[in-house]
Amino acid sequence: MDMDVHRGMDSIAVGDEIGPISIPITLQRLVMEAGANRDFSLIHHDADVARATGAPDAYMNTFFIAGMFERLLREWMGYRGVINSITNLRMKVFNTVGDTVTFSGTVSALDNDSRTVVIEMRSATGNGETVTAEATITLPA
Amino acid sequence: MSQPAWGKYGTWEEAESYLGKVIGEDVGVDAIELGSIRRWLEPKEFDCALHTSREAAQAAGYRDVVAPSTMVFSYGLPAYWSPGDAPAKMGDEPRQIPIPVIFDVPAPCTLSFASNIDMEFFAPMCVGDVISRTSRLASIEHKELRVGKGAFMTQEDTYTNQDGDTVAVVLLTIFRFVPPEREQG
Repeated sequence: MDMDVHRGMDSIAVGDEIGPISIPITLQRLVMEAGANRDFSLIHHDADVARATGAPDAYMNTFFIAGMFERLLREWMGYRGVINSITNLRMKVFNTVGDTVTFSGTVSALDNDSRTVVIEMRSATGNGETVTAEATITLPA
Repeated sequence: MSQPAWGKYGTWEEAESYLGKVIGEDVGVDAIELGSIRRWLEPKEFDCALHTSREAAQAAGYRDVVAPSTMVFSYGLPAYWSPGDAPAKMGDEPRQIPIPVIFDVPAPCTLSFASNIDMEFFAPMCVGDVISRTSRLASIEHKELRVGKGAFMTQEDTYTNQDGDTVAVVLLTIFRFVPPEREQG
């Protein structure tokens, strides 16, 4: 990540696009993620258990998805931005082994007085939109 | 995206008796340190010096390396095994993550799906901090959906550091239900 990225209010507008970033989901990556985030629910690393619950394969958990949204925001806003909230995070479709998941966002509102920015975020695979969420961030003066 | 519930079975009256009460609390087993942050960044290919370099973090106004905000879930978790615990045996039930404590609230439901998560962040988590979680049952909203009859149950998780500062508040909503053919009278 570029240390020189310091996004300010003067350089953004409603409708600006953020990202995309993407990550290929392999079983190995899910296992690495489970070890790191410590959610060892079998549905996130055991294909048979995941399929028994109606998913096509083992799939990303909430922590992994939230972390990818954080990466999306951080890479766009730079070192001095602050994430205030990630809300309305809704999982619509599984992000499973074999998918390449793309994360992106759109600036939907901004307030110059408080320097806050609202960003609509989404993830998508070949099956279309999989997760949606909204972030509020504060940018430096 | 429904999955078999591992929740307790009971009546709605029993469920509602938990409203506003603490239904779970844990102290994170590990203080925040560089190794756990690095292993969390790795599978996400997340390159940010705020999370790896004291110099970069301090230049941005933090007292030390700062953990990603969404790591708060992981840092609030207890150990899956501790010295003195009984040894595991083949055939034991797999250990479940203890965060969705909504399943510890008895309710007349057999299935569930996670509906919504809201996270609000109030203070940075820096190297050396220890994170605790206190969960309350915030609301029960009865609803009949296509998948079945049940309720949106929301828990409010407050994460604090060792000084008692609130680091984050997370609302987790799970719809617990019975499919139409299995509804109880």
